[in-house]
Amino acid sequence: MASISKAEKSYIQAGLLADPPSRADGRSKNVFRTISLETGVAPLANGSARLSIGRNPHDGSGGTEVLAATKLEVEDIGPGSQGLDSGRIECTVSCSPAAYPFLSSNALDELQYDYTTIMSSTLTHPSLRPSNISILQGKKSWLLHLDVVVLTDSGNAFDAMFMAARAALCDTKVPRTRAVEYRASDSKLKGKTSSGGIMGAVLDASSSKDMDVDVDVMESSSFNTRVHSKATDFELPDYWDEGEILDGKGRWPICITLNIVSATHFLDATTPEEASVSSRLLLMFSFPSDSSTSKSQLYGMRTLGSGEFSVSQLSDLLKEGESYAKEVWKALNSQLDEETALKLKEMKRF
Amino acid sequence: MDVDDLENIQSSHSYNLTCPGESLTSSQSFMRGHGTYVDNEEVVASVAGTIQRVNKLISVKAIRSRYSPEVGDLVVGRITEVQPRRWKVDANSRQDAVLMLSSVNLPGGVQRRKLESDELQMRGFFEEGDLLVAEVQAFFADGAMSLHTRSLRYGKLRNGQLVVVPPILVRRLKSHFISLPCNVDLILGLNGYIWVSKHVKEIDQEGEQGFDAEAVYSNINDEIDIPTRSAISRVTSIIHILRAHFIPLTDTLLLETYEWTIEHENHTTDLLQQDFGEAMVAYISSTG
Repeated sequence: MASISKAEKSYIQAGLLADPPSRADGRSKNVFRTISLETGVAPLANGSARLSIGRNPHDGSGGTEVLAATKLEVEDIGPGSQGLDSGRIECTVSCSPAAYPFLSSNALDELQYDYTTIMSSTLTHPSLRPSNISILQGKKSWLLHLDVVVLTDSGNAFDAMFMAARAALCDTKVPRTRAVEYRASDSKLKGKTSSGGIMGAVLDASSSKDMDVDVDVMESSSFNTRVHSKATDFELPDYWDEGEILDGKGRWPICITLNIVSATHFLDATTPEEASVSSRLLLMFSFPSDSSTSKSQLYGMRTLGSGEFSVSQLSDLLKEGESYAKEVWKALNSQLDEETALKLKEMKRF
Repeated sequence: MDVDDLENIQSSHSYNLTCPGESLTSSQSFMRGHGTYVDNEEVVASVAGTIQRVNKLISVKAIRSRYSPEVGDLVVGRITEVQPRRWKVDANSRQDAVLMLSSVNLPGGVQRRKLESDELQMRGFFEEGDLLVAEVQAFFADGAMSLHTRSLRYGKLRNGQLVVVPPILVRRLKSHFISLPCNVDLILGLNGYIWVSKHVKEIDQEGEQGFDAEAVYSNINDEIDIPTRSAISRVTSIIHILRAHFIPLTDTLLLETYEWTIEHENHTTDLLQQDFGEAMVAYISSTG
């Protein structure tokens, strides 16, 4: 990050502490720049989103731009593999060198590592694990890769990354699977050719994936419930959509960054503003809709910078952060709903 | 024959503008310069920009590029490194500019030999991150520019904020130091860095005789009142809008838009609204 001069720093700080506070672009303290969001931008990903904060609508210059995409991979469960029965999430953040032209490649690696740690410690927590990324108990499960790329950074990268990640995860479709069991059919015993001797028996992987696809083959083979445990593999049935929506849409948290200058704080800092604050507080909130509407969940909290807080100060900041996060949450959800409606409309055209 | 060719180039490209892939002239009678390549014995532009011809050399100057310095240009730069007897300055050019210790004003008289003590306290004059306004003095063999701040108008910047625009949007003006009547000073660096700051009265500027190093190299801002602050952020927003619409900045244009903004806005943040910016640009283009 390009350092700024002492005079600029004190100009920004004095402006924030003035009454009324003034910022470089005339915003008040808790106003965000314009945020724009687009989902489904990467055709090969299971879910993707591109989010920008404060980008110039005319020439697309300036602003913070982040791309997030999810990709599902089948993972074996067993000794030597990290796979879990319930499936797992892996989160990586990479930064485009163009976003940080002043950083050396080593410094860029460190920054990526920092971003990755904060993102993955929040998003891969077991409490956030979606319920529908398991495939076969004890055999196979989905590994969800969440990749975030920071394309340009002009401040407030954390909020942008979390919002983009949430949008991409909400956009993610998990392919439907059906468990398959192989058994030697009677014809194999009689016939001489081994090809075609194996008959695939198709089962429903889980009760939630009930489908009206051709399962009559299975029914004729008089299977009982025990066969679930014998399932060795799975197949992807052809179906009209890409799969079902990843579970946990109401849970994926967003981040709100409080930039703290002595007794006051502000939101959505630009790069020079970030350089002139002593400490920042990241709060990861989510507001699950299934519980009572006022209930919020705090999924993570992180301080950056050299400043210190007292406990009472922190609890005040938490309260305020929660109210800001709620606003952002609502706005993001309504935008996501809009995007989904738009996509449904496009699909219906066919 | 040659004269015909030259005229062809001029006439077929009114305004001397070209875009990538456009054939400019025959490669047999002309030499290709920067921004061009030869294809099928023709000189073809590889960038969008203006055609420039020096005798037989055809080159295209790109519209969007880094700043290419010329001697005498006024630039605003940021110190990136302090080295023995020199500072490295980021001036939006292809390479960092150099500011020699011998080309800055030192305390205790404008003209004097540099002492070892000066070398030891270079960070007392400029340190990493500091912004300064300077003039391009000369070029080194490798093409890096050498700056100087040997004038009282040049030196360290304070009391304001920096705006960055593409270098092409800053035209060469009679003066690059602009004072707007709203108590705001502007320094339009030809490298696209623009310094927007509180107005400093001429009398208050550090005089030639009483050269005060403390004041010139100070990092402390003056007291800036709220109206001035909002005027500074308003000017900054105006420059951002003009940049978005790719409109070259001049002193008269900035003054006009500022007056129009004061007339029409309800609040400073209006300038952040897209439609307000578009109305402003429509007004500018209507007045010509």
